[in-house]
Amino acid sequence: MNRQLAVVALIGLVMFCPRTWAELVVEVTHGQDDAIPIAIVPFNSPEEAAASFDVAQLVSDDLTRSGRFKTMARNDMIDQPHVGTNIGFDDWRRLNNDYIVVGQVQVQGADRFNIVFELYNVLNRQRLLGYQISANKAGLRLASHQVADMVFQKILGVRGAFATRIAYISVLGHLPDKTYQLIVADADGMNPRVVMDSKEPLMSPAWSPDGQSLAYVSFEERLPTVYVQILKTGERRRVSARAGVNQAPAWSPDGKMLALTLSTRDGNLDIYTLDLATHALTRITDDPGIDTEPQWSNDGQSLYFTSDRAGGPQIYRIGIHPGDKPRRLTFQGAYNARPRLSPDESQLAFVTQEDGAYHIATMDLRGRGDVQVLTHGRFDVSPSYAPNGAVILYASRDRGRGVLALVSADGRVQERLVSSEGEVQEPAWSPF
Amino acid sequence: MPGFLRENSWPLAASVVLHGLLAAALLLTAFISSNQHLPTLQPLPIDAVVVDSKVLRAAQRAQAERAEQEVARARAAAEAKAAADVEERAAEEAKVAAAKQSEAQAQAEAQAQAEAQTNAARQAKAANQVKTAETANAIEDARRAAAARKILEAKQAIAEAKQAAEARQAAEARQAADAKQAAEAKQAADAKRAADERAKQEREAELRRQLANEEHVSAVESGPLRDRYITLLRNRIQHAWIKPPSATAGIDCVVEVTQVPGGEVTDARVTQCNGDAAVRQSIENAVYRASPLPDPPDPALFERNLVLRFRPNE
Repeated sequence: MNRQLAVVALIGLVMFCPRTWAELVVEVTHGQDDAIPIAIVPFNSPEEAAASFDVAQLVSDDLTRSGRFKTMARNDMIDQPHVGTNIGFDDWRRLNNDYIVVGQVQVQGADRFNIVFELYNVLNRQRLLGYQISANKAGLRLASHQVADMVFQKILGVRGAFATRIAYISVLGHLPDKTYQLIVADADGMNPRVVMDSKEPLMSPAWSPDGQSLAYVSFEERLPTVYVQILKTGERRRVSARAGVNQAPAWSPDGKMLALTLSTRDGNLDIYTLDLATHALTRITDDPGIDTEPQWSNDGQSLYFTSDRAGGPQIYRIGIHPGDKPRRLTFQGAYNARPRLSPDESQLAFVTQEDGAYHIATMDLRGRGDVQVLTHGRFDVSPSYAPNGAVILYASRDRGRGVLALVSADGRVQERLVSSEGEVQEPAWSPF
Repeated sequence: MPGFLRENSWPLAASVVLHGLLAAALLLTAFISSNQHLPTLQPLPIDAVVVDSKVLRAAQRAQAERAEQEVARARAAAEAKAAADVEERAAEEAKVAAAKQSEAQAQAEAQAQAEAQTNAARQAKAANQVKTAETANAIEDARRAAAARKILEAKQAIAEAKQAAEARQAAEARQAADAKQAAEAKQAADAKRAADERAKQEREAELRRQLANEEHVSAVESGPLRDRYITLLRNRIQHAWIKPPSATAGIDCVVEVTQVPGGEVTDARVTQCNGDAAVRQSIENAVYRASPLPDPPDPALFERNLVLRFRPNE
C-alpha cells in the first residue's frame, strides 16, 4: 500500500521550548506492514490438562494464521517463565520479541481448569493484560481462542475473531451415494459438527445476526426450499417454498427479515424481502434480467445484489422502499458477482473474472471505488468477511478438490484452512 | 590636639592617601565588573541538572566562606571598637597612637601577614583551579548552555563578593588609623583582586571558547548535515514502525524521545495522538525498536530530546 507513495519530508526546526527541551522534530510518514514478533511461552499445565490440550500452541497458531504476528519457535526460547515476574525482559528483547505471553493452566476441581495468562510489552516492560478464564476440559479450546482474541485486540486495537465459528457445505462421496452436509466448525476449521445432512444438495448457509440460527437452501424435496434452523435445538422451519426458485437467503441486520431470490412463473429471477413473523413478501427488484445474491446494508435500508440486466453480471445497490432505483457499482471487467459487505461498510468483497479465472476482489466504498484483486486462484468464489473485517473466507480449489481459504482484507496474507475430507463449498463466517 | 596632628602629620597623611587609593581601586573594580556582563548572553536551556547543582553548590560554598570571614572580621572590628573609646575622635586617637608603634615591629607583623596572605592567595588559586576543572567537565557534559549559565552565576557570585568586600572595606575604613589593619586589608584586597583578575580572565577565555563553539553549532544546525541527521532518524524509525490496521491516513501523533549519547533510547512517550491505544503503543514500540538511534553526522547535532511526529500519508 505504501509502496507507490512518495516520502513527504517535512523538516522541523530546533526549538527552545519553555520546558527546556531542545527538540529535533522528525516526521514519520511510513510504517511497515510487517508481522509483529511475539513469544507465546508454553503454559505450565497439569498433566490432565496438558494431555488433552496445548493452550500456548493454539494461541500461537491463531496469531500466526492472522498474518499479523510472527510467533517465536519454542526451540529458540532460552527460558520458559510462567508468570510475569520471572520474565527476563532483556533476553526476550535481544531475541527480537516485542511482546510475550506467559501463563499456566491450574486445576480447579474435577474437570475444571483455570487458564491464567499475562501479556507484556517486552520493549517497555509494561503489563498489558492479566486474565484468568475458567473452562472444563472440552472448553479449553474455546478458552484458548479467547486468549488469542484478547492478545490480538490489545496489540492491534481490532477485535479478534478466533473464538467465532464458520458454516460451510461439505460434499462427500460420488453419485449415486453423494451426501451433502451443513457443517459448523470453529473459525480455525477444527471441531466440525454436522448441523444437517441430505442426499440432495444443500446451499447458501447464512448466519442470523445473533449467531443462533442458520438459513439455508435445501433440495431435499427436489425443489429448492429455504429453511431456518436453530443451532442449539436443531429445530427448523420452512420459510420459503414457492414454485420455481427459492435461493440466496440473507438476514436483515435486525434479524426480522430475509432477503431472497424468487422466480416468477416465466422464470425471471428477482429479489424480495420476507418478513419472518408475518410471512409478508415485498418485491424489491423488477427487471427482466436475473437479480440475485442480495446482501443487506448495515442500516437495513438497502440491498447490494448481482444483476445481468446490462449484459454480464455486475453489482448494484438498491433501496428497499418502493420506487427506489438501483445504482450500478462495478464497471471493471465483464463479471462481478456475489457482493459481501465488510462489517464497517468500508469495502465490498465480490467475485471477479479475469481471463476465465475467478478471483476474490474488493472495492473501496469510501474513496474512489478502487478495486483490488486479492486472490489469484483459478476458482476462488463465495467470499465471506470475518466479523472483525480483517479476513475474508472463501471457497477455492486445490488439485481439483473444493477447499476453504483465507485472505486478509488488504490481500497481504493468504492462508489455506485445514480441510476435512470431501468437497468444501460456500463458507459463511459467523457474527461475534 | 593640633600638637598631636603636627607631631603625627606624616603617618596620618600616609594613612589618608592609602585609604583614598584603596577606595578608588575598589570602586573601579566594581564598575568594571558590573560592565562585564555580556548583553548577548541569555539563559539557555539546561538539560544537565547534575552539573548545574555542582556549580551552584560551589558558588554557595564560596559565598558562605566569605560570609563567615566577614562575620569574623566584623566581630574583630566590633571588639576593637569596643576596646577603644566609643567616640569616633577617641578611636582615631587610638588608631593614631597604634600607628606610633615601632616601625620594626610593624614591618615584622606586616611580613607575617604578607605570608599569611600569600597562603590565602595560594588557597584561593587552588580553589579556582578546582572550579576550573569542574567547569571543564561541565563543558563536556552539558555543553555550552550549562557553561554559559555557570559563567553568569559565577559573575553574580563575584559581584556579590565585591559588594561584600566593599562593605568590609567601608567598615575597615572607619578604623583606618590602624596601620597594621590597613596594610593587611590592602594586601588582602591586592591578593583578592589578583585572584579575581585571574579567574575573570579564565572565565572570559572560557566564554570565548563557548561562543566559538556555539557559532559552530549554529552553523551546523542550519546546514545540510542537520537535514541528513533527520533523514537518518526518519529512515531508521520508519523501518521499525509496524503499523496497526488503525494507523491510517489522518493519524497525527507526537512522541517525545529521550536518548543518551550513543543513541540508546531511554524513554519514549506519546504526548498527543488522535489514534487509538494500538497506534500509540506501536509508535512507542517503533522508537524502542529503532534503538540505538543513528549517530548524527556531526556531534554538535546530537540532541538528547527528540520529537517525532507520526503522520502516515496512506
